[in-house]
Amino acid sequence: MKWLTVLALKLALLMISLGARAELTIEITQGMDNPTAIAVVPFAWQGPGSAPTDIASVIDGDLNRSGQFLPVSRSDMLGLPSVQSEVYYRDWRAIDTEYLVIGRVSVAGQMRIEYELFDVLRQNKVHAGVVTGAVSEARMLAHQVSDAIYEKLTGIRGAFATRLLYVSVTRVPGGNDYFRLTLADSDGARPIVLLESREPVMGPTWSPDGRQIAYVSFESSRPAIYRQDLATGQREQLTNFKGLNSSPSWSPDGNTMAMVLSKDGSPDIYLMNLASKQLTRVTRHYAIDTEPAWMPDGKSLLFTSDRGGRPQIYRYSLSSGNTERVTFEGTYNARARVAQDGRNVVMVHQQNGSFHIALLDLVSDRLHVLTATELDESPSIAPNGSMVLYATKYAEQGILAAVSVDGGVKFRLPAREGDVREPAWSPYMGR
Amino acid sequence: MSASIYAKPTAPRIILRPALVSVLLHVLIIYLMTVNWSESEREIVRTKPAPKVINARLVDVSEFRPKPKPKPKAAPKAKTKPVVKAKPKPKPKPVVKPKAAPKPKPVVKEQAKPEPRITEQELAAIARADLARAVAEEEQAAEATATAAEMAASYASLIQQTVISRWSRPPSARNGMEALLAIQLIPTGEVVSVSVLKSSGNTAFDRSAINAVEKAGSFPELQKLPPGEFEKTFRRFRLLFRPEDLRY
Repeated sequence: MKWLTVLALKLALLMISLGARAELTIEITQGMDNPTAIAVVPFAWQGPGSAPTDIASVIDGDLNRSGQFLPVSRSDMLGLPSVQSEVYYRDWRAIDTEYLVIGRVSVAGQMRIEYELFDVLRQNKVHAGVVTGAVSEARMLAHQVSDAIYEKLTGIRGAFATRLLYVSVTRVPGGNDYFRLTLADSDGARPIVLLESREPVMGPTWSPDGRQIAYVSFESSRPAIYRQDLATGQREQLTNFKGLNSSPSWSPDGNTMAMVLSKDGSPDIYLMNLASKQLTRVTRHYAIDTEPAWMPDGKSLLFTSDRGGRPQIYRYSLSSGNTERVTFEGTYNARARVAQDGRNVVMVHQQNGSFHIALLDLVSDRLHVLTATELDESPSIAPNGSMVLYATKYAEQGILAAVSVDGGVKFRLPAREGDVREPAWSPYMGR
Repeated sequence: MSASIYAKPTAPRIILRPALVSVLLHVLIIYLMTVNWSESEREIVRTKPAPKVINARLVDVSEFRPKPKPKPKAAPKAKTKPVVKAKPKPKPKPVVKPKAAPKPKPVVKEQAKPEPRITEQELAAIARADLARAVAEEEQAAEATATAAEMAASYASLIQQTVISRWSRPPSARNGMEALLAIQLIPTGEVVSVSVLKSSGNTAFDRSAINAVEKAGSFPELQKLPPGEFEKTFRRFRLLFRPEDLRY
């Protein structure tokens, strides 16, 4: 009996110690952040003839441009499934694919795209969805699919189904240059010319709902600010003051427009109530105050000023009326644009005589130079804050380029005719 | 069938013989049982139970000693003692020692080696030798656990490096996010199960962590581990994903 109790005690002790034994925990505090391999299989076309648009290749291009993904080449695919029953995870794992996208496209009046996203490593379906819309909007529908996939896999809302505004200048010998204001998809496809003029067009910007735009046009021989409805094409001239009329910037609530006017002497920041057209002067300084940009909460404005001798970014608080300097690194910081998180500010920053795009983290107060090209200008940040579009020079030509906010991904948009400048990335276009 | 043909004529003889044999066997068994019983009892006392068990029993015995019972038992010992050694000293010793000093040792030794008397010097030497051996054994054991721990640590770092090289964080990842995964391996080093013990709250982040392990797939180097070490440390373990190298 004694022997038995001793044994029982020992067993109990052993079990307790096993239970209490701390399991080994290995900490992973670093990563390599290689792009994720994703295969976008050509979507099955369920209609007459051949598909009008290669939906899969649009998605493929979107994911590739994000830098977060490495699309699998079609020639490497061991099968082209379009329904779940045709998916063999083994085939995709064999070519080191992590995620798989399949889909089907049909047209019955409207285009309908069904798609499914699979996790090859865990062998399960991550997401499935349907988008519908006009056949003419096929590319935009594909971008919407990209947005959904991007959001599922990165935790950040996609910004592919958005649009860009940019200005291009076509040089014609004899001083007959002409300027174009162009609207295009976020991948540069489907450009539409909104305005063509012999006189300069500058500073295009978006309304917060993405339905209207504003810009400066010299078409009446002196600069004036216009706003234009994208759906109706209706146009309204907002200002026609003596001197400078520039840098329109819509407030986040859409009711006010910040702008730069020099009607009272030196260029200063003004606010216009868009309903009453009433003006409020914001800055009053003999130096140049320009390029206003709203903070996402609408409570303060960033602007460029050379009141300290060199151009730097300042912040004006609408509630207190106080102005404080924001940038201190370097001798030239200008044309700030704020990300939707209100934390990242992109700007033009001069370093060693070259102009680069830099990102200032307002929380850590650290400035990161994102680009290595010279003569970079006009940064515009994507609505999801992931990429910065900017203008630069390449082979003596003005082009558009993009860089991720971590500086890791860079690409150039397809070259267009003439010099391209002043890109403006739209907000989210509804949902 | 053939057995029954044989059985008939020989049956009476066989009945007689087994009876005798069985009687003899029974006697033998009873004898052996009685003999073995006592022997086996002694053996149990000496070898089987752990030292602590011996202590407990011996304490009981020693407590009884001063009173009537111990005397008859101690008698044989008392007889041998005076024969071998001088009369004056031996008597007080056994009386004093069991009471004051840790009782088990002297008693056990006396029981185990009843014939030769051991001098105090010899006892001390034996004690020292025992101590040295114990220390050596302890050191050896410590050394063994140290190398095992080192080995486990080096394989843990190998797993860590492999997973780091496979981990691609989503852009929504932030420093300080934490996802705790439970990993199960089989002795080939193959990952057979990955599950989230504690989510970071960001599904994309959790998925990136799981996929880092799934992409690694197996840690074949673990096959070099002794099976015990594998079972102890790597059959199941945890991975804590907590980025520190992101910009923010």
